Amino acid sequence: MTTSSMQKGKRRNERRHVLLARVCVILLLGNVALAQVYLPKPPPEPSEYGKVILDNYSATEPGPVVFDHWLHRSKFTCRLCHVDVGFAMEAKATGISASTNRQGFHCGACHDGKKLFEGKPIFAACSDSAHDQQCDRCHSLGKKRARKYEYKTFTAKLPKGIYGVNWGAAEESGIIKPVDFVEGLSVKQAPMQSRKDFSIKAAYSWVHPIRFSHEKHAIWNGCELCHPEIFPSTPKGTVQFSMFHNIEGQYCGACHRKVAFPLNNCQRCHPSAPLWAPGRLP
Amino acid sequence: MLKAKFQATIITVLLFIGLLGLWNMRRGGPRQASAAQAEPAKETWHKEFDAICAKTEDAMTFSQEELTDLIRRCDTLRPQIEKLDESQKKVYLERLRKCRGLYDYVLDAKRKEKK
Repeated sequence: MTTSSMQKGKRRNERRHVLLARVCVILLLGNVALAQVYLPKPPPEPSEYGKVILDNYSATEPGPVVFDHWLHRSKFTCRLCHVDVGFAMEAKATGISASTNRQGFHCGACHDGKKLFEGKPIFAACSDSAHDQQCDRCHSLGKKRARKYEYKTFTAKLPKGIYGVNWGAAEESGIIKPVDFVEGLSVKQAPMQSRKDFSIKAAYSWVHPIRFSHEKHAIWNGCELCHPEIFPSTPKGTVQFSMFHNIEGQYCGACHRKVAFPLNNCQRCHPSAPLWAPGRLP
Repeated sequence: MLKAKFQATIITVLLFIGLLGLWNMRRGGPRQASAAQAEPAKETWHKEFDAICAKTEDAMTFSQEELTDLIRRCDTLRPQIEKLDESQKKVYLERLRKCRGLYDYVLDAKRKEKK
């Protein structure tokens, strides 16, 4: 074999290696991109997380309502508002209006100027009486200093997790005691029988199993908030819950993408997993 | 002298009993009345709604027959709620839908369990 043919063979091999390396880089980038698509996006700041803007009648005064979940969830269970009071889980599905509020429904179920919370009357929502009018307390979008409570000062004494307040710990320590009954709307029920927590095998072998706090969910949500709409009836083992579904807002993602602790907080559900929190706040 | 003292004691005791009676009347009478005013009698549909939806947290303990009956009662109640004013209809139809959905879900789960 001549020297020139040996050099040609060497160059061909080098070219093959470069091509292989390029293919590997492309595949690697493709995988990273795909993983990024299916990683939960970093949640917003805790003060903004769970914020709902109600602008059914934004064209007219007094303008859109800003509803902060963090304020109300410190005082009431999810079940009370989303089952007894009838707030839907989807935007614009409830049909809240000044009229329903004035008749003692929706916001007016509690905000009627008469009901007491911690010894003080709860201000009336959409009151006709000029004396009680405090429109800007709720219709506060874009209005400075209209809100009474600020996230930072309000949550100063509450235990914190990776993404803001750890509401479970706050309740366990007795700092918050969410109310689960509103006079006139709630139906008296016998105390709930204990729902045992259980483990769920993950869809993929490399994912750590899920510890599902059924009892906590049942107490805060009741049964009908999750079943059948979020978790429909299926024969055991036929549906595999995956993070892809959750990130798209199905199953756990129905709440844990918008209001309850975000999906990025891996260890809260996969307790044996390594501490990893994509998009963790500084 | 003794007679006067006896009369004074009797009068004091009677006065005391009278005042005690008046105090009890004030305490018991109007309170019952205000309690009755504060809780107006519920309409028939509302009583039925409460009776049906007060059982959601025990749904898992019911037999298939009991669950079927609860679902039937939900379906019977629905047209009555549809006749209410707009606000009541909006709220109670949604709540009834949730109750019925849960009973149906549990019934379905029990049927699948039996298979």
